Amino acid sequence: MRIFHDLNVDFMGKRNMFYAISSALILIGLINIFVRGFAFGIDFKGGLEVALQFDKPVNITQIRNEASNIGLGEVEVKTFGSDRSILIRSEIQEVPNNLFSQIQSNVEKTIDASQPGLSRKIIDKSSSSITYSFDSTKALDKIIQDLNTADFQAMKTLDDSSKTNLNVRISVSDWIQSNLKEKIKDNNFKVLREERVGPKVGQELKKNALFAVGLSLLVILVYLGFRFKFSFAISAVAALFHDIFITLGIFSTLYGVIPGLNLEISLTVIGAFLTLTGYSMNDTVVVYDRVREYMKIYKTMPLKDVMNKAINRTMNRTIITGFATLLSVIILFLFGGEVLRSFAFALFIGIITGTYSSIFVASVFVLEYANRSKKKIEF
Amino acid sequence: MKEFTFRTVIIIGAFALGFYLLYPTFADLQNTKKISQELVKISDLIKQKNPAISENDLQKKLTAARDSLMKTDPSIISNREKRIKLGLDLQGGMYLVMEINSAKLIEKLAKQPDDLFYKLLKEAQEETKTSEENIVSALAKKIRANGKRMSVYFDFGDITASDSEIESKLVQQETDAVTRAVEIISKRVNQYGVSEPNIQKQGSRRIVLELPGISNMEEARNLVQKGAVLEFKLFVKPQLAFNMMNKIDKLLAGTDSVLVGQDTLKSKEEKFARQHPFYNLARYSQNQNYADTWVKAENKTKLQDYFSRPEIKKIIDEAGAAFVFDAKPETNKEGSFYALYVLNSTSELTGEVITNAISRVDPSDNKPVVNMEMNDEGANEWARITGQNVGERCSIVLDGVVYSAPVIQEKIPGGQSRITATSTEEAKLLEIVLKAGALPAPVETIEERTVGPSLGQDSVDQGANSALLGFILVSIFMIVYYKNGGIVAFSGLFFTILISLGVLAAFHGVLTLPGIAGVVLSMGMAVDSNVLIYERIREELETGKTLRAAIDSGFSMSFSAIFDSNVTTMITGVILYQFGTGPIQGFALTLMIGIIASLFSALVFSRLIFDYFVSKGQMIKLG
Repeated sequence: MRIFHDLNVDFMGKRNMFYAISSALILIGLINIFVRGFAFGIDFKGGLEVALQFDKPVNITQIRNEASNIGLGEVEVKTFGSDRSILIRSEIQEVPNNLFSQIQSNVEKTIDASQPGLSRKIIDKSSSSITYSFDSTKALDKIIQDLNTADFQAMKTLDDSSKTNLNVRISVSDWIQSNLKEKIKDNNFKVLREERVGPKVGQELKKNALFAVGLSLLVILVYLGFRFKFSFAISAVAALFHDIFITLGIFSTLYGVIPGLNLEISLTVIGAFLTLTGYSMNDTVVVYDRVREYMKIYKTMPLKDVMNKAINRTMNRTIITGFATLLSVIILFLFGGEVLRSFAFALFIGIITGTYSSIFVASVFVLEYANRSKKKIEF
Repeated sequence: MKEFTFRTVIIIGAFALGFYLLYPTFADLQNTKKISQELVKISDLIKQKNPAISENDLQKKLTAARDSLMKTDPSIISNREKRIKLGLDLQGGMYLVMEINSAKLIEKLAKQPDDLFYKLLKEAQEETKTSEENIVSALAKKIRANGKRMSVYFDFGDITASDSEIESKLVQQETDAVTRAVEIISKRVNQYGVSEPNIQKQGSRRIVLELPGISNMEEARNLVQKGAVLEFKLFVKPQLAFNMMNKIDKLLAGTDSVLVGQDTLKSKEEKFARQHPFYNLARYSQNQNYADTWVKAENKTKLQDYFSRPEIKKIIDEAGAAFVFDAKPETNKEGSFYALYVLNSTSELTGEVITNAISRVDPSDNKPVVNMEMNDEGANEWARITGQNVGERCSIVLDGVVYSAPVIQEKIPGGQSRITATSTEEAKLLEIVLKAGALPAPVETIEERTVGPSLGQDSVDQGANSALLGFILVSIFMIVYYKNGGIVAFSGLFFTILISLGVLAAFHGVLTLPGIAGVVLSMGMAVDSNVLIYERIREELETGKTLRAAIDSGFSMSFSAIFDSNVTTMITGVILYQFGTGPIQGFALTLMIGIIASLFSALVFSRLIFDYFVSKGQMIKLG
């Protein structure tokens, strides 16, 4: 079986058409990036994210209403994979002051109800916990049990030898969970995953990600410059920018458009971008390799024809590899689960643009460069 | 024929190596299945016997039961160690990044802080919350801006010290505090019994903690967030300690032979185990001057379980004693052993009285020592304690484990003590421990990722299924398109995956969910080398070459393309691995290994098969 036999298309001659297509795609992407921006995940934004799985299908509007009325300001609620799982997200990581005192009084009410009249004092208080000290050790286990039943996270502290100290955690996540448990009584849930990223960490992760992308571009530029010619290297990197811009543009354009597809920029998506950097390069290099070979053989042939010939001759390989890789990525997208979906989507778009750019963009840039510099490229 | 022998041997060797490296992973899967079935039975049994048992106690009992099941066959543990490790996202667990709370530390270090100091500290804290700047330098700037010198607030033994000297001292204190916190947390985590925890210092102010398979998140949080307590405890007199241990031994022999009976030991040892269940686990030495016993590392949880039983707890309480393990095990050819000490239950002194501790090598006798200083109040007490107990040992206990038990040589009146260590490392560790008493290391969590076990299992299933499906579909496509050649590509693909996973296991790599994605993706890319070669062979055939010549030039002409394209992908893999975190690193790792394996499979494995068939005069059809 064979897809193309003796393909002979004048790709270089049609380059104005590809310019138009690429510019249009990039323009649409850029407009969306400037107008709509990106939706960053908590990896980069910082915040709190809790994924819950309920026993029965949930009414998302109900949860949304409950969640917005618990004093945490704006809380984002969306489904996560199935209709039984939801994802709750808040940008607040520490319980705000007014709420803290409310929760504290709830804790103390529970303690009073458990052991009326037992004297206590607060020995330590931080933004995320209160430590009480009691007179006697006996009642402690009972208090802990009652607090836990009331959905507080209480435990003995490790660092006291008298064993009379009790630590109660005050956290946004607990507050959300205990409220949901109270309001939605007939449908139990368990916590699938909980993530908390501090604002400082978020910024650092963003910086690291940008650095990693930048560095890999630079190293590839140097390597290709060394293996081919500088004009080839710079064109390959330009083609890569082309791919990344289009993919980013599509992420921005489609965010929130396709239901069930979460197109947030997270650490994993950055990983996907880096992978498509590698993939797109891979593709481009194969074409370049053939150009390099033909330039050595057909020394008098015009560069334009050499390139056409190289692209035509490698077309079979480009399509087959692209298809095989797309096949595995599509499977990841469909069956890899919620966590890998946006990752696979980025790769899906990336492989298509990567294949397109290695055929239509990377060589065109080299040709333009050669036409302008008037200097003959020789290997 | 001879021309193939060498290559065939290499390839068979590689296949064998792949299977050999993956066998433990396979065996471990089977073992885990068996053990969890066993545990369900045990848990039912316990519930039947004791319906009112709390969830916590049940878990503890099950953990002990699992430990003893794991021990029944040494291959279970060795397989477990050699298996492919799953990342937190696949097996569930907790990932924490903690940062030292410098503000609290600085506040503790300051002498005579006034209102202005607190105000400036608070401002500095707010400012550095989101910026890169260190709080120390931010505070220093503010103090200078207010026309004061750092030495007004900080005294490191030299009142003429310049601002920058004090600043660097403070930064040093931060670093020390992180080291302390790492030491304390890793001890706690090990005691708590997390399997394969990973604790690392990141930069100078952070700690990264990975706790796989943790079921109780709250306890885990408490493990890392609470301050540590340092105590000085005296030993119970050996005679009394042995009396107490004899009582425990007798009591256990009367009630508990079932659990011990599971071990298949030789008859004489078995008899001893039955008659002396306690001493069987805690072996005493010939030196009866001390009532120290030695416990095999894997028996620790079992013993702790014994100690928590009410009837045994009563015996221990009556003796006013406490069993405390040593912090570090000693290893001999039988395994690693922890010393178990019998200490007084009450402590003589706690660590707050310590003002400083410095480890150094004593110039007079070249021995590593730690010099410990105490405040006046502590020094008085210390003089009394040491005076009354000359010749006795006094243990230094941090967080419930003994770090050192030096013999008191003489009464120490001025609070200046000198502890001799066996090595400079031990001295350094002891310094850290003693400072933990003087200066707790307040840490706070700045990043926390928790994955519940059920989500982990879902992810494993989805990842494994899509990998398998991807493999099947890509193989079918290749066979349909290239016929015979497709079968070669399929075997090459199988070979690539086998080697990738085998290498991952051999290097103790961690398989994460993006890591599985990396495997799936590298399958797509692994066929690329085959495609390049096949398409080239076809082209060469079209120019009228013989099959053998076409194969030769097909492989050699496509080499440069294969090489260059894989190097570029490798570059991104390396960079991802270097700068990525957690799961992304897992992705980069499988991608890199996959690239190398696929290069080998295309250039050596496929080549051999082609050459072999051609030399036999058989045709390989490429579609």
